[in-house]
Amino acid sequence: MIDSSQHKGSLLEVDGLSVDYGLKGVSSRAIDRISFELRAGEAVGLVGESGSGKTTTAMAIAGLLSPNARISSGEVRYRGNRLPIDHDAAMRPHRWSETSVVFQGAMNALNPVHRIVKQIAEPCMLKLGMSRGEANARAKELLELVGIPADRGAAYPHELSGGMRQRVMIAMALACRPSLIIGDEPTTALDVITQAQILKLLGELRSRLNIALILITHDLSVVAECCDRVMIMYSGRIVEDGTVAEIFAQPKHPYTRLLIESIPNPASGKKIIRPIPGDPPNLVNRPSGCAFHPRCPSAMGICATELPSLDKFGQGRVACHLHRSSQHDKVAAHA
Amino acid sequence: MSRRIGRILLRAVITLVMVAILNFGLFRVIPGDPASLLLGGARTSVTDEQIEAQRQNWGLDRPLFPDQALDYLSATLQGDLGYSFKFRGRHVADLILERLPATIVLVGLAQFIAILCGVMLGVYAGWRRGGAVDHAATGVSLALYSTPSFWLGMLLVVIFSTALGWLPGYGAYSPGANVGSLDLALDYLRHLALPVTAVALGLIGQYVVVARAAMSDVVTEDYMVTARAKGLTGGQMLMRHAFRNAMLPVVTLITLNLGYVVAGAITVEAVFAWPGIGGLTVEALNARDYPVLQGIFLLLGVSIVMANLIADLAYGLLDPRVRQ
Amino acid sequence: MSKSTIRYSGRTRARAIKTFLGQFLGYGGAQLGLLCLVFFLVTAAMPNILVGPLQTAINATGDFLAPPSGQHLLGTDEVGRDVLNLVVHGARISLTIALLATVISLVVGTTVGMTAGYFGRWVDVWLMRLTDFFFVMPSFVLALVITPVVLEVMGRGREILGFRPSLFVILVVIGMTSWAFVARVVRSQTLSLKERTFVDRARVAGSSNFSIMVRHILPNLVPQIAANGALVVAGAIYVETSLSFLGLGDPLQPSWGTLLSLAQRAGAASAGAWWYLGAPGVCVLTVSLSFVLIGNALDDTFNPRRRVIP
Repeated sequence: MIDSSQHKGSLLEVDGLSVDYGLKGVSSRAIDRISFELRAGEAVGLVGESGSGKTTTAMAIAGLLSPNARISSGEVRYRGNRLPIDHDAAMRPHRWSETSVVFQGAMNALNPVHRIVKQIAEPCMLKLGMSRGEANARAKELLELVGIPADRGAAYPHELSGGMRQRVMIAMALACRPSLIIGDEPTTALDVITQAQILKLLGELRSRLNIALILITHDLSVVAECCDRVMIMYSGRIVEDGTVAEIFAQPKHPYTRLLIESIPNPASGKKIIRPIPGDPPNLVNRPSGCAFHPRCPSAMGICATELPSLDKFGQGRVACHLHRSSQHDKVAAHA
Repeated sequence: MSRRIGRILLRAVITLVMVAILNFGLFRVIPGDPASLLLGGARTSVTDEQIEAQRQNWGLDRPLFPDQALDYLSATLQGDLGYSFKFRGRHVADLILERLPATIVLVGLAQFIAILCGVMLGVYAGWRRGGAVDHAATGVSLALYSTPSFWLGMLLVVIFSTALGWLPGYGAYSPGANVGSLDLALDYLRHLALPVTAVALGLIGQYVVVARAAMSDVVTEDYMVTARAKGLTGGQMLMRHAFRNAMLPVVTLITLNLGYVVAGAITVEAVFAWPGIGGLTVEALNARDYPVLQGIFLLLGVSIVMANLIADLAYGLLDPRVRQ
Repeated sequence: MSKSTIRYSGRTRARAIKTFLGQFLGYGGAQLGLLCLVFFLVTAAMPNILVGPLQTAINATGDFLAPPSGQHLLGTDEVGRDVLNLVVHGARISLTIALLATVISLVVGTTVGMTAGYFGRWVDVWLMRLTDFFFVMPSFVLALVITPVVLEVMGRGREILGFRPSLFVILVVIGMTSWAFVARVVRSQTLSLKERTFVDRARVAGSSNFSIMVRHILPNLVPQIAANGALVVAGAIYVETSLSFLGLGDPLQPSWGTLLSLAQRAGAASAGAWWYLGAPGVCVLTVSLSFVLIGNALDDTFNPRRRVIP
């Protein structure tokens, strides 16, 4: 548990958050008692397969859950104050002014019938109370900032390339000078070179403007480019949390290790990419104990029966029975 | 941009040419000599010499193509649509022009009301999909969509004219109304009320269905999530982001429904003896007055092609993606 | 897009049909539509058993424009005929015209659409130009001028296939003028189907173009044709009713539209004879709505994402 009074420096605290989706009477838990904190200006990657709950986590923080989602436990605090994430209207003042989102596949995330300058200027007018002229001027500044000539502002989304559209999304996200940007797979639809450019831009801008970043991705290598810290999610839970350097050098959780091994790395001379064997878990009917145990190469008897808690381990945290004994020692020592 | 407009214009021209071909060909296959037909109902009292004289006079002894076809085309382009059988000696063009204003008033007003109410209701139903308004509006609209407008008109007459006696159900003016007075205008509006309601009700159903479907597609689009993330209110999301996108399919489908507009207007006019094109159509059908029918077909064809043309061009203004 | 399965084995086909029916009947609209439709089809199948032979002015049994009573459940018309009798016989005539017109429309639309999509190039260009014309020009407007002219050419004497000439002409004209929408849908579906591997395989195996179209492409078009077919029927009923109302029908074989036309001429509305004009109108509304509901449910089942009427 995180005690807000002890973490004056944290921007965002997620505390025991669970979200359920109800579909035709069947309820499935998308995220289960997620807890983490984020300091101002920190960049964290949230990594997992599809269905691991990373997008639900991000949308919950932004207060953008769909109507069939229900928050069944926990809360989100922003600068120490509880966010009304289950109340659409009450979240409105917070949105974009404090937390903005760079969505994936910017083709559909941008409105096809409006010029891009208008779409960037819109939050400036509505949230910052700028006049149309001021807002347009700001929008053009922002375009220059993300490397698009200001006169391209008159273009419509369909007239731009995928990379350019993603730049527009970033410019739009910066419009109200937020303290937190959530990137929801912002580079997924792009080719490798464009992807690297966008990540570089995002990383530079965020550290220059001191904005915190939560980067959602299924691709661990994307995190390595521009994050300080990474959290690995599996089946609605955080299984490992640590600095990028630590996790890449010494992954603790077997799932993290397999994820790192599955990254194609021409430099290391590895020829074969190893996919993780087995299927992603079913959210309606999760495996007992540790959800990863049916696919885990190091599974033990206890893994099928007991859910490992996410405990402090070294600099970070890990939820795995393999690392429990040492954890118990620490707890004992601490007590 | 110009290429797209060129294509639209080409299509309109092709359709118009086909309307002309159909119009020319259709009324040349009628058995019996066109000349004797053109001389009207008094076929028996016309001598062969007279018919022959008319044939030469009208160029009917010349080959069908190209001579007659070209004559027809040039006459049509000059607004000469021939003479009516029934209203002997009258120009078809004059007959049509005489009746046109009444129809324009009826159809224009009904369309305006139907588009306004139908699109607003449909947009709202699609925006709040699954709500009470949506269920009610969808149910009623499907029923209206399946109901012939003229039957709605007959029901309106039974209820509001015969049973309640509130509004007149016949004609455009009461007999003996003072010409040029305010009473006359009021009288006209009272006569207009029921036919306009009948035509509009028949159309509202379709516009609700179409606008609702378009809006329910739009609300699931990613850019609506972006708009919500930007902290826009529901009203701002609807007006700034959803509405214009939802109008794209609506514009196309409104023109596709022109057939219902025409069918609705013509049959409703027949119910109310409204002195417009619909009434003329019924008279022409009953009297087998082919030149008038031909003229009406030309009028309808040209109007429909023009409406499509306008809709295609308007679509380009609304959707930047097709402008290229 | 629908998932068109290439070839079903017996069991998978049975399972596919079962899932389809389960999904289709899950829509309340489909249930309501089917229920009404079955009722009217049964009525149309045996009008003589239900209400006896069609009454005429000579064998009419009632008073003039009498309101509903125990003897005449739906009242009588202006010459004393029983309205129930007329409406039940009208069901047979209206439904036959609408369904046959739809068959013509589907056959023409499918043929044109499949030919254009399959052969492409100039065949496609010219067939689609023709389709564009019929797409733009409403069936009602075309039928309004074509029907009287064709009748004039044919003469109004003898019956054709058991139909009075005007009914026969109306159904053929409606069918021949309302296929454009079907042709467009079928064409675009054919374009994607002909790129599939099973078509290539058939071509390599030496099948003729005709056999590929009929045996491999046509079966996969059935969902689209069915969903649009239901909407074509609704449109055909609308057009037939409107044309008959304008007097193009036949008083000796009165459809619902013709009955409404007779009611109008008899001044039923101003006489307050709501039963006379109400009965056929409610029938048109119910049958047309049933087909719209069934069409929508079929389309929702086959293409879950979107559907826009017309």
